[in-house]
Amino acid sequence: MEGLLPALLGALQLSAKLILIIVPLVTLFEVMRYLPVFRRAGNVVEPMMRGVGLTRDAAVPLFTGIFLGIAYGAGIIIRVAQQKGLPARELFLMGLFLATCHSVIEDILIFIVIGGNGLAILVVRLGLAVFLTGLMARVWKPV
Amino acid sequence: MSEPETSATAEESIPDIPTRIRTGLSAGFRTSLKIIKVSVPLYVAVTLLKGTPALDLLGKVFAPVMGIFGLPGEAAFAFVAAFLLNLYAAIAVIAPLHLAPFQVTQCGLMMGIAHNLVVEGGVLSTTGARGGVLTLCRVAIACVAGLLLRGLWSLWEVASSWTMALSGGS
Repeated sequence: MEGLLPALLGALQLSAKLILIIVPLVTLFEVMRYLPVFRRAGNVVEPMMRGVGLTRDAAVPLFTGIFLGIAYGAGIIIRVAQQKGLPARELFLMGLFLATCHSVIEDILIFIVIGGNGLAILVVRLGLAVFLTGLMARVWKPV
Repeated sequence: MSEPETSATAEESIPDIPTRIRTGLSAGFRTSLKIIKVSVPLYVAVTLLKGTPALDLLGKVFAPVMGIFGLPGEAAFAFVAAFLLNLYAAIAVIAPLHLAPFQVTQCGLMMGIAHNLVVEGGVLSTTGARGGVLTLCRVAIACVAGLLLRGLWSLWEVASSWTMALSGGS
């Protein structure tokens, strides 16, 4: 098969690019995640979260999901959600927000690698997440 | 050391920086390895299939659906990879197809919203949220986002062609 060699080379090139993104990103996150700034970030984002029907308790799982993704952030999301005993309404709103907008750094970087426009992806996802979650928060009133 | 009480922070004890770097590097390489195991075979398979009638046929079948979002029919294969596996598998399918920048952006947007549905649906259910409903929502939201981006893109193209015409006229 004469096409096999270029195909393999292309695959290796893509893999190399992906490793160059993932390894530094994961390492950086691991180094930064304990900084006090991130723990206190809850205060700053609280007003914004209220707009989409969420309280402070949802801040850690929400931001873990936004930056890390649902699969990788699963440990933190599940643990905090159960520990804080988040109500069903808030879990649904958080889930809806994360469904639309999660793992933004990694997901967008890998599409930039193959030639996509990262800003367009980010703006549409974030905008849609805020709009939909805000809408649902008004439809499903807190009891 | 006793277990930390269920305090508000719910954080484990803090390791020193070299330990964190080691943890990060090993986690990063482990993730990379997992990704490569999936993406290399897929990339090679799609590259080899590209010239064959099989992929052309698949493309023709899905062209009407994909066309709604401004994508070629072949992109359907990437959506299957994204829904069932993950974005790395999807990228391995997209890269050899050589799509236009807008099409890559469109794939990134829609697949970013809806991917890895089996695993992540499970995770969302575990939190007590309604996993099944949310998974359906994700696919629906992905379609809405795709239409939105296509609309915005058309507007952008019209606007830029006007600016071109205006600056060309003066």
